Amino acid sequence: MKLVPVPPIAGRTLDAQLHLLDRQALDNDGVPVTTVDDLELSGPEPGTEIPEGTPAPVITALLTGPVLGTRIFGGRPPSSRLIRIPWKDVADVGVVIKLGVSGDSLDADWVERWIRDKIIARIPGGRHDPR
Amino acid sequence: MKRILGVALGILTAIGGFVDIGDLVTNAVVGSRFGMSLVWVVAVGVVGICLFANMSGRVAAASGRATFEVIRERLGPRAGLANLSASFLINLMTVTAEIGGVALALQLASSVHYLLWIPVAALAVWLVVWRVKFSIMENVTGLLGLTLIVFAVALFLLKPDWGNLAGQALAPAVPDEETASSYWYYAIALFGAAMTPYEVFFFSSGAVEEGWSIKDLIQSRINVLVGFPLGGVLSVAIAGCAAVVLLPAGIAVTSLSQVILPVAEGAGKLGLAFVLIGLVAATFGAALETTLSSGYTLAQFFGWSWGKFRRPAQAARFHLSMIITLLIGIAVLSTGVDPVLITEYSVVFSAIALPLTYLPILIVANDPQYMGKHVNGRPVNVLAMIYLVIILAASLAAIPLMIVTGAGS
Repeated sequence: MKLVPVPPIAGRTLDAQLHLLDRQALDNDGVPVTTVDDLELSGPEPGTEIPEGTPAPVITALLTGPVLGTRIFGGRPPSSRLIRIPWKDVADVGVVIKLGVSGDSLDADWVERWIRDKIIARIPGGRHDPR
Repeated sequence: MKRILGVALGILTAIGGFVDIGDLVTNAVVGSRFGMSLVWVVAVGVVGICLFANMSGRVAAASGRATFEVIRERLGPRAGLANLSASFLINLMTVTAEIGGVALALQLASSVHYLLWIPVAALAVWLVVWRVKFSIMENVTGLLGLTLIVFAVALFLLKPDWGNLAGQALAPAVPDEETASSYWYYAIALFGAAMTPYEVFFFSSGAVEEGWSIKDLIQSRINVLVGFPLGGVLSVAIAGCAAVVLLPAGIAVTSLSQVILPVAEGAGKLGLAFVLIGLVAATFGAALETTLSSGYTLAQFFGWSWGKFRRPAQAARFHLSMIITLLIGIAVLSTGVDPVLITEYSVVFSAIALPLTYLPILIVANDPQYMGKHVNGRPVNVLAMIYLVIILAASLAAIPLMIVTGAGS
């Protein structure tokens, strides 16, 4: 059987493993938000029959949080438990992944916000600017 | 003029910041048991730390990425997490040892029991981490740590037989009353003390904290290449003092008071005053560096916001993890376990973990995607490969030697 040659792609080719996974994501102010713990793809569920003409899957979101555990120890978390950063928020992919939105608006930052509001900001000097 | 001052300040800070509780204790123990016969290890270790600190600084300046971000990216989550666990635990041990060291030094200065000083020392470390500007923190502890030069002064005042000392250093031999396995065990400990991984975490994160660009690299290179070897000379002076005073008396160092005994004998009360300031400054400075390193490694692995240049509220998890680290350190020390013993183990475990830190740095320093045209040159790579072999050998030999020698006893 002869394979169909890979169709020419416009733009840059990204390797998910090399350029996306485990990269640092920064928000629009350059503040670190998270490391990309996993990716969410659209399209057919693994193991199902794929009819001809199905569009190729696309990345729908960067995932973060407990999903990291499943990459280390295996398993698959229920979709409702995933913490997503939608792909449309990604502004640029380089040595770091730049997001076009503020970290404060993201679900991915809830632990940081909780610890900030409940603990760190309550300690005297917690909002002091060191510079 | 300002530039020259900056360079001078950087060098002085690097000298003062080089010595920590691990160097102090290990060098004194080695000097008191093996004389100058292990000086060559300090030289090997200093060249190694210069090489890799410089490399990690260059990675940070060229790509803006600190060491542990890079480790996770290159090793993936599984190996990265294993690496994080090992590095973090060893760093935790070092934090504990440094805080214990501050407390012991304060005990020597005040005669108040060290257990009472531990919460004070830990609180002081936290306050500095919480509030003080990064550059001030670095410069003050580094400059005060320079008073440890009194070890070199004391060595001169002791009027040793220089020919004999040089002979021991240049033609190393295992002393008659020691076994070859304990000689090599302490060689590894000394190597681990000189090359402790936290220095690299701290150095690369510090480059990001201070916003280094490629232009600042020359200054950092001078700091490292001049400051660290002079710090190594300080280490050798500590071993030399022990070799001159303690070795003939048959005293093997087991406490911090024995480390400074030769200074008291050689340089008198004034020397003692200087060495006490130096001890507190050096251990306190290292306690700051290791505490920050524990926050840096965790934050960089998980991608949290970090850095002393941010308000604590803007790096909440980073600051919380450092508070927890300090609390664990206090808890461990309050069991009454001997900080000197923790130190001796921490340097050996550092040696075991060395490849985990240094291999990923070497890989990334050769990756043009991160480094652009600032990738390693061929001579640096050749030297780094030689060091990788040494580091691996030390790492693999450490545990068997620890068992055979009963941890050097």
